[in-house]
Amino acid sequence: MVGEKYQVHRQMYEAMRGRDSPSARMVAGWLGGVFDAIESGRPIVYHSFALFSEVIVAMDLQPLCCEAWDMIASSVDPMHPARSIDTAHEAGIPPEMCSYDKAIIGSVLQETVPPPAMIALSATPCQNVYITYQAVAQLTGAPLHVSDIPYDLDERGAMEYWIGQYRDLISFLEEHSGRKMDYDRLREVVEESNRCVEYWLELLELQKLRPAPRSGPLWTGTYAGMTAFGLPSSTAAVKALLDRVKQDVAEGKTAVPDERIRVVWFHFPVGWDTGLIDWMGELGAAVPYVEMDGYHAEPVDTSSPESMIRGMARRALEVPMVKIAQGETGQYIEDLLYVVEQWHGDCAIIAGHPGCKWISSAYGLIRDACRERNVPVLLYDVDLVDFRVVSAEESRTRIGEFLQMVLEQRN
Amino acid sequence: MTALEDFGRVAASLDNPYIERWKHEGGKVVGYYCTYVPVELIHAAGMLPFRMRATGSKSTDLGDVYVSSSTCTFCRHSLDQAMRGAYGFLDGLVSLFSCDHIRRTYDVWKHGKVELPCSPFYFEFLSVPVKAEPANVRWLAGELDRFKRSLEEHFNVTITDEALARSIRLYNERRLLLRRLYEFRKRDAPPVSGAEVLEVLISATAMPPEEFNQVLRQALVELEGREGRSDYRARLLLGGVDLDDPGYVRLIEDLGGLVVADFLCFGIRDFWDMTDEDGEPLAALAKRYVSNVSCPRMIDRPGRQQFLDDLVKDYRVDGVLLQRMKYCDLWGGECAMTQWDLAKNGTPCMILEREYLMGPVGQMRTRVQAFLETIEGC
Ligand code: SF4
Ligand code: SF4
Repeated sequence: MVGEKYQVHRQMYEAMRGRDSPSARMVAGWLGGVFDAIESGRPIVYHSFALFSEVIVAMDLQPLCCEAWDMIASSVDPMHPARSIDTAHEAGIPPEMCSYDKAIIGSVLQETVPPPAMIALSATPCQNVYITYQAVAQLTGAPLHVSDIPYDLDERGAMEYWIGQYRDLISFLEEHSGRKMDYDRLREVVEESNRCVEYWLELLELQKLRPAPRSGPLWTGTYAGMTAFGLPSSTAAVKALLDRVKQDVAEGKTAVPDERIRVVWFHFPVGWDTGLIDWMGELGAAVPYVEMDGYHAEPVDTSSPESMIRGMARRALEVPMVKIAQGETGQYIEDLLYVVEQWHGDCAIIAGHPGCKWISSAYGLIRDACRERNVPVLLYDVDLVDFRVVSAEESRTRIGEFLQMVLEQRN
Repeated sequence: MTALEDFGRVAASLDNPYIERWKHEGGKVVGYYCTYVPVELIHAAGMLPFRMRATGSKSTDLGDVYVSSSTCTFCRHSLDQAMRGAYGFLDGLVSLFSCDHIRRTYDVWKHGKVELPCSPFYFEFLSVPVKAEPANVRWLAGELDRFKRSLEEHFNVTITDEALARSIRLYNERRLLLRRLYEFRKRDAPPVSGAEVLEVLISATAMPPEEFNQVLRQALVELEGREGRSDYRARLLLGGVDLDDPGYVRLIEDLGGLVVADFLCFGIRDFWDMTDEDGEPLAALAKRYVSNVSCPRMIDRPGRQQFLDDLVKDYRVDGVLLQRMKYCDLWGGECAMTQWDLAKNGTPCMILEREYLMGPVGQMRTRVQAFLETIEGC
């Protein structure tokens, strides 16, 4: 029995497992796996969202993506992240750190997340995660593995170095779990994640249509990546969403019937303002692209263990938030302008989440580059996790004024 | 002027008479933002490495056009200084992913938003690993080879193995001399204050190393004959974020806390580890720079804590003062984790938040006073 611990997640599991929806089943499957691991003693491996879980799944270890654990809880208990964040602050973690990360540290301190046997991190997308995962290792005593990433991935030898670092993760898991990687099982897992990615990419393609079939974050793909990647439940969830979107397209249904502006939201969404996208829709603004869904990966070649390791390593660099944070500002700007062009954006909104100093410290360069390319851009400060920092009213006022300005300019 | 006064003069401004003379004689100066840049390579190329500070800055108005209010004030002041032409003596700038703030500050330079002191200006960004296993050391050795070639190409010089070996020896000598300086701090009555030591350390990053070593040798002789200070209330270790303001240390010491040890980027972290003089130079440098006493950019928490715990013992430290810069995620988190660990062995510890410029000191005085009283009551 799991007992009294992890009540929020327990409730969520109970609520979801009975549902018909494939995404609910996907999340329930993951939570159920975690609870099962606690009871059976199967090792739990914490991994940052920047590392997908195929290798962990293939070794029959239990993946627990810390970011997902906290984000998911907020849908049942909106105060959950705030409580975790307050606990981290009380322990001396500074307020200016990323609130996704503070929530993780707070959850570990409050013991609202089961303890890990191992921790896997890749040195990206920012240094808040370095601090966080080291703090988690310090608090739990679990061994920490970090895969180093070269700054400029186009540099000679950089990809080989990164692949070597990724390969080393498997040795770490083997060493600390006493299990050997079963490459046949890994092939099954990766073939499954390949299918999931294929559907995900098809979904993203459909979002290029005008008007867009969906507005705002799609969530399912992101959660598939963070919870059950390589398991049939994640593929089924993404496929179900794709089928629904295809049907809507066939029936001519669109997210914002009177789509007057297309907004590229080049970051994670404001998670706590659940009505924001609908409100933007009322102003005629559709958001066909949210960076959270922005996965642009190639399928992994499963012909040999080596090809799988190489493919997974490459794919890990395409994880949303990772890709845009890596390297110098010029690359970020290039990615942003590419997305604006491909998804037919009329403008871009970049939420300056307090932790993301790599964005806020590049405001001037981003603004200049967008101005040169005639892409209106709103760079505004808002906390994506903690609703107490900038109110919904303030946030919406900034967005509303910006959209108004874009409309006026166009007219 | 005594040797220590000479260091005080160098630390008090960005430019200094040594740099002026160097430039006057046609020498080139390459700025760098972080202790992970192997200065030996710059020196072996015949140039003077200069650690970036923003000493003398009064505002962030110009810098703020490109960054944001959540960028740390060191970066904002440094950018502001750059835009005002305060680094007119630089011929190049080397950076790395020291932190998210620094890498973007560098990008602003690189994207042509700063009026460059000369043309063509040299830019280099190093990819330095965050851990120090053999594969990471090999990667860094490759990076240093690329760095070496880019210096050679840009400045039209050749860095010979002999020159590099000479530079390595010279910087090792500097490290040994600084270790001798730190020996004075272990005494019951240290003849040198923490503020003076910081002036020496800042000078180490802003003077030709040959001359620095010479002046430091003289300072060590002066200190032998100097009476030590025993009227302090507590022996402190000062740690945390980059600190290049000796006035900050002076304020603590005026209240009776003598800073006898540090865990600072301008301090012990910068010079403690030696480079192997017998190995292949680039491999030796790579090993030294990636496995030195680490800063929070490295995933090496237990290693850092062990080093700090050893310092507390070796320098008979009564309390640890950690300072963090507002908006600095790295040191903010590191200070908290250090405090958790120190609490386990009962070492008194206090965290002070600060901005790059000291500003009003009333609150800081009160907090340091209270900390000293706590230590005295222990
Ligand atoms: S990139 Fe930003 S949102 Fe992501 S972990 Fe870092 S600070 Fe948080
Ligand atoms: S104070 Fe912190 S944020 Fe600022 S440059 Fe130093 S490490 Fe970076």
